[in-house]
Amino acid sequence: MPEIFIDNVRYEFEGKPLVLQFMLDHGLDHPFFCYHPSLSIPANCRQCYVEAGTPVFNRETNSYELDESGERVIRFFPKLMTACSLEATDGMVIKTHRTSALVERAQKDTMEFILVNHPLDCPICDQAGECPLQIQTYKYGPEGSRFEHKKVHKPKRIKLGPRVILDAERCINCTRCVRFTEEISKTHQLTIISRGDKNYPAVAPGTEFDDPYSLNTVDICPVGALTSSDFRFKARVWEMNQTPGIDITNGKGCNIDVWTRDNVVMRITPRYNPAVNDHWMPDFGREDIRRMNENRISKPEVLLDGDRIKSSWNNAELNFTENLAGLESNEILVIGSAFSSVEDNYAVKKLFSTLGFNHQVFVPNIKEGSGDGFLIDDDQYPNTNGCRLLGFEELTSEKLTLLLSKGNFKMIVSLEDDLVGRGVLNEDLLKEPYFVYMGSNHNKTSALADLIVPIANSVEQSCSYVNSSGRIQRTTAAKETLYTNRRLNLEMSVGRLDRYGTKFDNWVTDRNRIDCIPAWDFIERVATNLDKQTGYESASEIMDEIASVLPAFNGLSYDRIDDELGVQIIGDVSKVTSA
Amino acid sequence: MSETFEFTKEELAEIDKIKAKYPDKKSPVMPVLWLAQNKFGHVEPEVQQLVAKTLDIPAAHVYGVVSFYTQYYGTRKGKFVFDVCTTLTCQLCGGYDILHHLEDKLGIKAGETTEDGMFSIQSVECLGACGYAPMMQITNGVYCNHLTKEKVDRIVDDLKAGKMPEFEQIPFPQHQNESSK
Ligand code: SF4
Ligand code: FES
Ligand code: FES
Repeated sequence: MPEIFIDNVRYEFEGKPLVLQFMLDHGLDHPFFCYHPSLSIPANCRQCYVEAGTPVFNRETNSYELDESGERVIRFFPKLMTACSLEATDGMVIKTHRTSALVERAQKDTMEFILVNHPLDCPICDQAGECPLQIQTYKYGPEGSRFEHKKVHKPKRIKLGPRVILDAERCINCTRCVRFTEEISKTHQLTIISRGDKNYPAVAPGTEFDDPYSLNTVDICPVGALTSSDFRFKARVWEMNQTPGIDITNGKGCNIDVWTRDNVVMRITPRYNPAVNDHWMPDFGREDIRRMNENRISKPEVLLDGDRIKSSWNNAELNFTENLAGLESNEILVIGSAFSSVEDNYAVKKLFSTLGFNHQVFVPNIKEGSGDGFLIDDDQYPNTNGCRLLGFEELTSEKLTLLLSKGNFKMIVSLEDDLVGRGVLNEDLLKEPYFVYMGSNHNKTSALADLIVPIANSVEQSCSYVNSSGRIQRTTAAKETLYTNRRLNLEMSVGRLDRYGTKFDNWVTDRNRIDCIPAWDFIERVATNLDKQTGYESASEIMDEIASVLPAFNGLSYDRIDDELGVQIIGDVSKVTSA
Repeated sequence: MSETFEFTKEELAEIDKIKAKYPDKKSPVMPVLWLAQNKFGHVEPEVQQLVAKTLDIPAAHVYGVVSFYTQYYGTRKGKFVFDVCTTLTCQLCGGYDILHHLEDKLGIKAGETTEDGMFSIQSVECLGACGYAPMMQITNGVYCNHLTKEKVDRIVDDLKAGKMPEFEQIPFPQHQNESSK
């Protein structure tokens, strides 16, 4: 196998890796700015310099030339090479700053140039704490600045588009953002204008950066030049927790990181998954923080003589079971939800099947033609395939309307899905029966419910979704509810504020914890009241059970989903209708 | 009233000829911008859009090219544009003195245009005539070399009188003897 020597250590490689990527893959730290694994390689920042050489091959003897001490003679490139654009070849020798004083010096010098006109005001910069420029200056940069002249000033707070703001002074002209619009989102909206020290990215006059993927440029900008108009100056990175999750705003299921501070979701960023979304996600997925934080249903609510009042959980359970009592099998309609997780849907379905109520339906929310073939899917909900695989009957709006108007339903149990708000049902149809709505946010449908059960949403519990291409992926609880605690739930991440904040200081409160539980948990409580308990204690147990009873889910577990970054469980998606 | 900018059939044919010389869509942008500037006198955003549309390339890219070169007028300029070189050689030989003299004389700053629309001044990078520093170019045309304040005054007066300075032939030192022969 071909070999490469990096700082006197031998590595084997296959194919034609680029030296920088190869080093990063092997845990060797190396400074760089403009390189991004999913973009083309302009090698314009010059920060990734290495010394590189190849062994001298003697064609006559058909062997490598050796020096007196028997070592291979290495012919070094006359100048330093940019590791990002250098392809590894057999026998190549690389010297980084660890073994070469020249490289170390070059990195410092390049850094000094990059910093000539860069503001040195990290304490007030939004990127501080997650800024490659800051980190690399600490690690590889010069001690201080020798630059005593007035810096070139450029415009600050340029509104490039509705969601992205540019601070031109911080830009180091790496062109990552420009390349993103050229190569990934293909809107070609950005360019670098002017030249020399006056360079910075801009849109063509009279246009705006309204690319549906614009916020990805904020993620990849290696400095604080591009910021999100929504998030800028709202939170410091080190105050937040970062928890893996899934974007449930559409069927694609982009992998995300959920950033919380004091149990408020502050921002969402894409998480790398080569099989789904690479490093990217659509902008509207990030706006989902509104749904996670605002307009939440907290504490159960019941209708009492026409008034909606908050109720205890006990009372909610009682209401539920009392209304259930004595109903015939065709008097209950269970409406599953492609918006809710596999586990929640399964628990609901299982209880009602056990009780003999088999009207179990769901209405997908697919808007044909609204997708873009990239990360925006026609399917507006994250778990349509999950509902199909669990065996909910798939109905259109008309069919459900017909079913409701003709049937003799005394009770309707609906998992989170704004059927009225999205025009599936006319509200009159829900008025007659006893209507239970289990959801996280108030909406037009919950407003009609006789009983509202507040349930934990995708960032308050671990739960899984089967995306539109048949891949099951899961979230992890990122935000505490009133009943979860990140110190006890070892899966939840604990940040600085959680560790050191107390309820008696200014930074940490209980205000943002919602009084809700996972839908499966509520169902389990009801089941217990009915002597049908299953003993579930966590969503992962439910997944284990699903894996053992439903063939499509065979062999699945949370561990496996985690290890493999999600598991493809449907081969040909077009074939799935219902189980 | 907003002007509309269009290319005539003949110009489009000319553009097609330019396009044929290049392997890809982006490359003809410079000659086509040139053609547009010769026609309209500037390449303001509307003209950039026209060029982008005609060549089927992103408007942002055209903007990037226009803003890179001082020779393209991304905003309307006066009838005569003084491109005063302020790069190293000219700078050392008094480029900034020339620039400031012009500014004072015309009562405008670099980047501005006189009220009567006659003159604009730009401070530009090296125009490749370092041997005759300090120098300036007039409206992408004649080079005026070995500038002195007096020479600048004369040029301005001449232009006001409608007289464009002559092209000056300056022999290289090694050829000087020949020409004097
Ligand atoms: S704004 Fe950021 S990503 Fe874009 S060129 Fe400047 S430094 Fe690079
Ligand atoms: S990473 Fe910028 S030159 Fe290599
Ligand atoms: S420096 Fe002025 S022409 Fe070269």
